[in-house]
Amino acid sequence: MTPNDAPRSPLARNALLAMTVVGAAGTAAAYLSAGPARFWANWILWTLFLLTIGLGNLFLVALERLVGAHWSVPMRRVPERIASLVPLAIPMLIIAFFGVPVLFPWTFPEAAHNPILMQKTPWLNLPFFAIRLAACALVWLLFYSFFVRGSLRQDASKDAAFTIKARKLAPLFMVAFFFTVTIVAFDWISGLEPEWYSDMFGVYLFAGTFLSGIAAMALGVLGLIRRNRLPDVKPKHFYNLGTLGLAFTVFYAYIGFAQYMLIWYANLPEEVVWFKHRIEGPWYPVAMLLPIFHFALPFFLLVGAVGKKSPKVLRIAMLSLLFAHFVDLYWLIFPTLGAQPLFGWPELAMGCLFLGLGFLQIRRAMGRGADMPVGDPLLAKGLEWQL
Amino acid sequence: MSNGTFAVLGLYTDAQKIVDAANQIRPRKLGRLEAYTPYPVHGLDRAVGLPPSPLGKLVMGMGLLGTALALLFEWWTSAVDYPLITGGKALFSWQAFVPVMFEVTVLFATFTAGLAMLFAFNKLPFFGHPVLHSKAIKGITRDKLALSIESADATFDVEAARQALLDNGAESVEVVPVPAWDKPLSLVGLLRTIAAITAACIVAGAGLYGAEKMIPVVPPMLHMHNQPKLNAFRSSTFFADGRGMRPAVAGTVARGHLPPAFATPDEAGLMLANPLPLTQKSAERGRKVFNDHCAVCHGSVGDGVSMLSRAYGGKPANLLSNEMRGRSDGQIYGVIMLGKNAMPSYAPDLDESDRWAAVHYVRVLQRAQNAKDEDLR
Amino acid sequence: MKSAAAELPAALQPMELIEGKVTPASLDDQVLQFPDRMPPRAWYVGLAITLTALGIGGFCMAWTLYYGIGTWGNNRPVAWGFGIINFVFWVGIGHAGTLISAILFLFRAKWRNAIARFAEAMTIFAVMCAGIFPVMHTGRPWFAYWLFPYPNERGIWVNFRSPLVWDVFAVSTYFSVSLVFWYLGLVPDFASMRDRTPEGIRKRIYTVLSLGWRGAASHWVHYDKAYLLLAGLATGLVISVHSVVSFDFATSLVPGWHMTIFPPYFVAGAIFAGFAMVVIVLTVVRKTMNLSNLITDNHLDTMNKLILAMSCIMGYAYFMEGGTAWYSANPYIQHTFKNYVSGFYGWAGITTVTCNIIIPQLFWFRRLRRSIPAMIFVAIAVTVGMWMERFVIIIISLHQDYLPSSWHKYVPTKIDFGILLGSFGLFFTLVLLFARLMPVIATSEMKAFLPGAQAKHGGDHE
Repeated sequence: MTPNDAPRSPLARNALLAMTVVGAAGTAAAYLSAGPARFWANWILWTLFLLTIGLGNLFLVALERLVGAHWSVPMRRVPERIASLVPLAIPMLIIAFFGVPVLFPWTFPEAAHNPILMQKTPWLNLPFFAIRLAACALVWLLFYSFFVRGSLRQDASKDAAFTIKARKLAPLFMVAFFFTVTIVAFDWISGLEPEWYSDMFGVYLFAGTFLSGIAAMALGVLGLIRRNRLPDVKPKHFYNLGTLGLAFTVFYAYIGFAQYMLIWYANLPEEVVWFKHRIEGPWYPVAMLLPIFHFALPFFLLVGAVGKKSPKVLRIAMLSLLFAHFVDLYWLIFPTLGAQPLFGWPELAMGCLFLGLGFLQIRRAMGRGADMPVGDPLLAKGLEWQL
Repeated sequence: MSNGTFAVLGLYTDAQKIVDAANQIRPRKLGRLEAYTPYPVHGLDRAVGLPPSPLGKLVMGMGLLGTALALLFEWWTSAVDYPLITGGKALFSWQAFVPVMFEVTVLFATFTAGLAMLFAFNKLPFFGHPVLHSKAIKGITRDKLALSIESADATFDVEAARQALLDNGAESVEVVPVPAWDKPLSLVGLLRTIAAITAACIVAGAGLYGAEKMIPVVPPMLHMHNQPKLNAFRSSTFFADGRGMRPAVAGTVARGHLPPAFATPDEAGLMLANPLPLTQKSAERGRKVFNDHCAVCHGSVGDGVSMLSRAYGGKPANLLSNEMRGRSDGQIYGVIMLGKNAMPSYAPDLDESDRWAAVHYVRVLQRAQNAKDEDLR
Repeated sequence: MKSAAAELPAALQPMELIEGKVTPASLDDQVLQFPDRMPPRAWYVGLAITLTALGIGGFCMAWTLYYGIGTWGNNRPVAWGFGIINFVFWVGIGHAGTLISAILFLFRAKWRNAIARFAEAMTIFAVMCAGIFPVMHTGRPWFAYWLFPYPNERGIWVNFRSPLVWDVFAVSTYFSVSLVFWYLGLVPDFASMRDRTPEGIRKRIYTVLSLGWRGAASHWVHYDKAYLLLAGLATGLVISVHSVVSFDFATSLVPGWHMTIFPPYFVAGAIFAGFAMVVIVLTVVRKTMNLSNLITDNHLDTMNKLILAMSCIMGYAYFMEGGTAWYSANPYIQHTFKNYVSGFYGWAGITTVTCNIIIPQLFWFRRLRRSIPAMIFVAIAVTVGMWMERFVIIIISLHQDYLPSSWHKYVPTKIDFGILLGSFGLFFTLVLLFARLMPVIATSEMKAFLPGAQAKHGGDHE
């Protein structure tokens, strides 16, 4: 890909490198002293955080192709770049595979005496788990390569044929996306309590993925506008990001509430245990962060027309959503470590490592290709699009 | 309204022209600017100088009011007014209350949006607007866009308005007069309306009353009243004796009604003692039993002088006699159970404690009528 | 900036939504002519058929009212039979209308304009058909008002913890909101009809119905805002209503019913079935009313793409249901899912999967998406398949749940079938009457999107 000549701040790069190095040191320390369970829980948490943001943005790219939207074309380079988190997260996920025998009860020797877990062994066994992981990784890499690299190549070739091909392939990606996100949800999160089951769980993770994708994309777009790198992108363009954010905030709340309420209502012991571990005692305040930051705050910020056109309000709403997505993943994963929410230097250190690597990856992607998909034949229509 | 003119309409077919015209004419302040179009033209509202609609905040407020009212109502009915534990759920099951809260929110918000928009903001329905009676209206709801300069006060200059519209690309201009109003509320019209409403109310009320009286007693509503099951004392062709109720099997003994172990009152006197303690309560119960069952023959003071004895010349025993006072409780109980002479057995009528209570009361009467001086202190 | 559309290759050109030249005047003449004319003979024939079906249904309903629910097939353990199947079926069909008119409005999808009015009308008719069933299945429908929480002499309130009460609120709100939304959209069109009709009683009716609408810009400002708000509210409503309907099942403990995916699964299924019905009705309407230049092949193509998308979502849902049933290691759920595709009622499950998942895959092929016989075939298959899906969920789960001594089959009676037929009769009668009497395309909405209808820029603003 031809690199662009956008201004590159060495200060930012050095800060990120420093953060990464500090994080790496802290991670090593955490591995040595915080115990394997906490280490791997953190590893999975941060990997999934980066992976879901990356996949969410890849989904947005494909969604635009699927419905033939014009308004998002001028902004599309942003999600294409944030999607570069996917090839970063895949090796991290593969490393996380080594944490599976530490955290996941179905790998423990006691599972052999648990009649329920024994029945699940055709699915819950390490070889098949590895195969699923490999298959998901392959699918993600193939589609990432196709959509993102293809778009970057189109900058120079200006060949409309790619847009047509992308439109045709988008539905296939959607099918693959739904199934792979579901596999991630079941394998990496609900597998932490393998006796529990909820067939909504894939949809739940999808909602969070999509929402965090939009949040990251919006923040990226607003950031570039602030640095005058997207002069042709106007409030009318990112208004729709606010609308999508609002719609999917409501969708997430609906899915989350429906799952919770149905399990509360029937009160079956094998289902209730999941929520019992996550809303009782010290975990209750963490759980309460979700309705506030994942629903109420973004909803009331984005519901008026003002909120969607104002970069400041949009930024607050999207930051709230990203924060809430992290809290969501933390709240899903960490109760497996015990009744006390653990948040200390191991979490911060590993956060520095993963976020540092993530930002560096995005930064590298920002050096490739123009800031707008200049080769896309629909770009002109997107720029002159009216609300 | 000057010269009886309501407005001057300029008709256009091109949206760009009418927006430009509005932008040109608005600063000249020739009158109140309005536009009439068959569909909303983007930008025309701002060109004419209209502020954005405040409907959104109103709808949001009313929606949230609906949420609060629904929650309050659900809480009050489920946890305060008639608390019923259903399905083991808490009285205030907020999780279960959310769906109705959501629906009521949408209901309030929708009706606010629809009705506030029509009634409050647009003041519709209104059939008397002058433009509705103009020639241009046929075009306005079909394919013509009309820019209207409306007369706001007596200084309205019709000619200037006409010229301004023609100068700015109007294809034709129409002057819309203020219609000659009939007096809106003539006495006849008012009386007719009141009569119509009254008649409607009477018909509706009579209809509802009739329905309320008739419907429950008409089949199929009646069907649950006339159920084929056998109620008490219903006849039945199923059984040979034609009765729905089956008699008790021979030898059946009702609870509390085992046959007595004694054959004569004297035996009862030897066998039984009053198991009921003599308290205020048992004596009052005994009084009630006595007055209900015994006083009719034995008299209200137990002396054998009663309404029945006067009427039919029977001779019920005088319970206050010395002989009676000498009888034991068990003997009195025995007479109640077995009957004596003309007195039938009261065993089926009274259960065991009632009988003993009556015995107590007899003793009370006996003492009352033969009181010693000390009793009065 | 030169318009970019001219440079685009054919595959990326925006969809043609109107064939030929259409002006606001020609639109009015084409669409609003129908209430003025006598309908063709085919309409009368259609009406005769639908009224016959309605009559049969009416007779069966009267029979049920008189003799009671014993005339239906409901019994233990399948205490909910055709009544609830038909209710969920019809409520689902209504959802496509709201999706088209509300959700697509929020997405600014222009292709919705030609079909939104008919779709909204179908929503209202479908909800009316749906409402028959819960009212009738109470057994004493003259007491149906007991479902509402009013201060009463029985000394008791409705049980707000019950999904059946949530249903009462959800469906009645859905009906009211759809009615308000539909009517508000009709007001400017009634104004058009008012001004086209010569003096007489018809003009008076249109005058009253149009509320004196005169198209004032000061009115359009509030109207547009109200319409946008209603579209947003209706969107939330459509998702919540079928979710509440799914809660009827998902909050219970019946194996196969208590699956957390039910809410979005039911909503997707409703949109799926609704679009199929819209496609069936519109392919007939555009032919018989000569509206093919407004309801174009592109419209049908897009709707068929949505049907395909929904079919894929349903496939995901079926896969998750079956997969989670296995994963749950719960023998009751596993037994129920085996019964879905094998056993006495297994044919119903096979039909469901074939009609809902396999047949709509035909729509991957563009030629089939644009072929009228193919799309009618697929749409009918989907309608049958979605009805069958509710049959599968309700009947099969109930007839063999926990206690084998309670297992018993369900056999619907002629009355059950008669009422189902009657509901179709009611629906299509109302559709025919609507087509005859009211504007079937939202002319005021369409006019706003005709070429040249809008100003390119707002003048000294922007």
